[in-house]
Amino acid sequence: MLARIIRHEWQMLKADAVLWVIVAIVGSAIAYGVWNGTRWVHFQEGAIEAARSEERVRFDRLTAQLEKVAAGERVSPFADPRSPSNLGSRLAAKVAVLPPAPLGALTVGQSDLLPSYVRVSTESREAVLASTEVESPLRLLTGRFDLAFVVVYLVPLLVLALAYSMVSGEKEQGTLSMVLAQPVSLGTLVAAKVVVRAAALLVIIVGLGLGTLLMTGVSLADAATRERLLWWVASVAAYMGLWFAIALVGVSLGRGSAATATLLAGLWLLLVVIVPSALTLGVQQLYPVPSRVALVQATRVASDEANAQGARLLAAYYEDHPELATGDAEQAMTDFNVVRLAVNDDIEKRVRPVVAQFDEQLSSQQALVERFRVLSPALVVHEALSDLSGSGQQRHRHFVSQVSGFHDEWRRFFTQKVVAKTPVADLSSLPTFTYSEEPSSALRARMMATLATLLVPAVLLGGLAFIRLRRYAIAG
Amino acid sequence: MIGTIARKELTELSRDGRFRLLAAVILVLAVASTAAGWLQFTAVSRQHAEAQRETREQWLGQQEKNPHSAAHYGVYAFKPASHLSIVDTGLDPYLGVAVWLEAHRQSEMKFRPAQDRTAIQRFGELNGAEVLLVLVPLFILLVTFPVFAGEREQGTLRQLMSLGVAPRLLVAGKALGTLAAVALVIVPVSALAAVAMAWASADSYLAADVSRTVALGATCLVYFLVVTGVGLAVSAWAPSSRVALVTLLGFWFATSLVAPRIATDVAGSLHPTPNAAEFQRALDADLSDPEEARQRLARLQAETLTKYNVTSLDALPVAFSGLSLQSGEDHGNEVFDRHFGRLHDQFSNQARVYQWAGLASPLLAARSLSMALAGTDFEQHRHFAKAAEAYRRDIQRTLNDDIARNQRAGQPYLAGTELWSRVPDFTYDAPSIGWVLGRQATALTVLAGWLTLAGALALLATRRLSATLG
Repeated sequence: MLARIIRHEWQMLKADAVLWVIVAIVGSAIAYGVWNGTRWVHFQEGAIEAARSEERVRFDRLTAQLEKVAAGERVSPFADPRSPSNLGSRLAAKVAVLPPAPLGALTVGQSDLLPSYVRVSTESREAVLASTEVESPLRLLTGRFDLAFVVVYLVPLLVLALAYSMVSGEKEQGTLSMVLAQPVSLGTLVAAKVVVRAAALLVIIVGLGLGTLLMTGVSLADAATRERLLWWVASVAAYMGLWFAIALVGVSLGRGSAATATLLAGLWLLLVVIVPSALTLGVQQLYPVPSRVALVQATRVASDEANAQGARLLAAYYEDHPELATGDAEQAMTDFNVVRLAVNDDIEKRVRPVVAQFDEQLSSQQALVERFRVLSPALVVHEALSDLSGSGQQRHRHFVSQVSGFHDEWRRFFTQKVVAKTPVADLSSLPTFTYSEEPSSALRARMMATLATLLVPAVLLGGLAFIRLRRYAIAG
Repeated sequence: MIGTIARKELTELSRDGRFRLLAAVILVLAVASTAAGWLQFTAVSRQHAEAQRETREQWLGQQEKNPHSAAHYGVYAFKPASHLSIVDTGLDPYLGVAVWLEAHRQSEMKFRPAQDRTAIQRFGELNGAEVLLVLVPLFILLVTFPVFAGEREQGTLRQLMSLGVAPRLLVAGKALGTLAAVALVIVPVSALAAVAMAWASADSYLAADVSRTVALGATCLVYFLVVTGVGLAVSAWAPSSRVALVTLLGFWFATSLVAPRIATDVAGSLHPTPNAAEFQRALDADLSDPEEARQRLARLQAETLTKYNVTSLDALPVAFSGLSLQSGEDHGNEVFDRHFGRLHDQFSNQARVYQWAGLASPLLAARSLSMALAGTDFEQHRHFAKAAEAYRRDIQRTLNDDIARNQRAGQPYLAGTELWSRVPDFTYDAPSIGWVLGRQATALTVLAGWLTLAGALALLATRRLSATLG
């Protein structure tokens, strides 16, 4: 019976202009979104290549200089390519890169705001991480038209457009009572209608989405990429499922088509637009992050004080780092570079509480967002899609923690050399950075949680709707 | 007649539970966003004013040192928040707030507030402008879609038309009724926002701010009229209220969510900007070209020797180091003007494309105007950045002139408080409203065009109104 209704519904849907309008809209939106995302990935790759090529040119020049110096040429101490202080802070600074992930073109996410490459030197961690990409502020404010935008904003509207008059439309045409005069329940009829619509929409979105993605040249050779694609399909399907359940609840209330449409449009507005921005507002009020101006000033004050104390700090520094103390203490105490190390160390010690305040407030905000994300399925699915594209906060934090580790290693390496006054002869002995991806088990756990967050309410709301449908007034 | 029609619309709306719910939601959001805007503004203004005072104290409190050391110590300039940023934060979250003014280098403004926020901010910030320009229009569309289409379905449209009311009056009355309903929501919120702004700036609410506030209000009003016109036209044209609703929701989605994204994409393609690494490389290449520096210094040396009619630098009555430092600054300034000028021109061009894109979506013209009037658009950011850079150049010139005058060859030269206080404190005056609107001519024209178009459409659709279904 169900199969026959489904077949029949499919015939009806095929004949309806709405489906083909939707195919046209979704098709062009998806094609544009994927193309746009791909362009962004190309831009990122270009930027990363430019940063790497700058590093290559700098190292080539450095090698040439080292050879000249080795051959006996004299240089000023501020430009000496052997000096570990010069190398670590400027000359040999290394670019740490977060490469775009294989599915980066699907969601731009935060990748246009958070830097995908930083120049690591012996400067403070904050200075190293403060770099930003040049990007139009207008575009940052507006957000991107990527595939995630299509899924998060447009797909629910299409679900609602396909579903809102499923029952009321037939009632208004007068065909509902005729259909239900046959040996079929309203529940079965509605189930068939939902199955047909959901399947059609899912096939369109996933088919067109994956089709365009493959045309952009994404390789599926890697198992991890294939797994991510599967999670992508599952998340989109679950999100659609939840919106069908929401639409069903609206339908089951038994109002007229126009009233149902208004109600569902209102729900869409609430869940996709209002809740996310209200939540943004709320977390900022509860855990306000101070203006970075406070950090600027704190650093300024700390560096004034540290510089004023100058050489005195050095003694304290040696007390803290006895392993660095050299035999020739007298000489070390007057060495400009060693004093600077001690001063910078002291500045960072003083500024650390202020920096910690920023990090704390931000992680409190993040914790609050995690807790209340469930209030909006749009937030849940957007986070998942960013995560799968490697353009979310998750992967960037992973990158930042690796950069921090590398920054520590870099500093240790040069600090020892500065204090011991060992010139660097071989550039290949410097520490190097390679980003290592998160293990896929972490991603898997997050994706399971996402699916549960979307599917549990979908099942509950769907069940509620079917219960209500039993009492649906078919006539009158 | 208009009054009667308007009163009927308003009465009907005020009895509708959905209208009351929507109105309440918008009211709550407007109040919450204004309150948040106010808190944000007061916090930022206080922090920035305090920091600006501190940076001045630090500058004046420097111990005796060579002026060039002081130049490297530098000062900071902090961008003040404009009063109307309470209503529209515009681009501020995505633009830097502080810039370090030191020797040899023009820096970009640093620290975008957006980088200290969670990822969900990208769903959009809830501020007064967002409520006024995105949510209120949706509210208007939901109110207007059944105005003609609904009456037709109820059969009351036939009666109404049999009265022989001129279409002109009918449209005006319906529009007035709708706007009166909107006013019920907007007026209290606007009053609240005005009080908040006045309170936030008890002693410094400038005449310029008042005219900006009035202009911002007028922009919103015109935009509401455009949306009302479109809503009435579609309601009169649509065969059923269902079609009217779907069409208007589609219009809202396309103009409010899709058009801004496509507009910024097109703007970015027409006026592309380099990536940060590329920009920095090109800048550094022009800035520190050793051959250029050698030739420039040789030229400067020759010119100076000729000017003072001496044969060696030691015989000069001025310190050559001061002259060469300033020559480096002059060269740098020319390079910075070229590179930053090109980059910022591209951003300005992008903003101009955004104004033109108002032809496709009136929201873009209205938002462009709103950000400009609130002082949170790119042009005013650039205005501040330019003022800060001009101040940096003044500092460098003052210090280098002092070195040229007072430094003696072979002797250390230390300057003190007298020199530091000769550098004036940094003050910034925001541009006038005329300056702002002059850069928004396109948006103004486009919005006026939309107003005419929407009015004409509504009138036309009402003239051809059919009282019967199908």
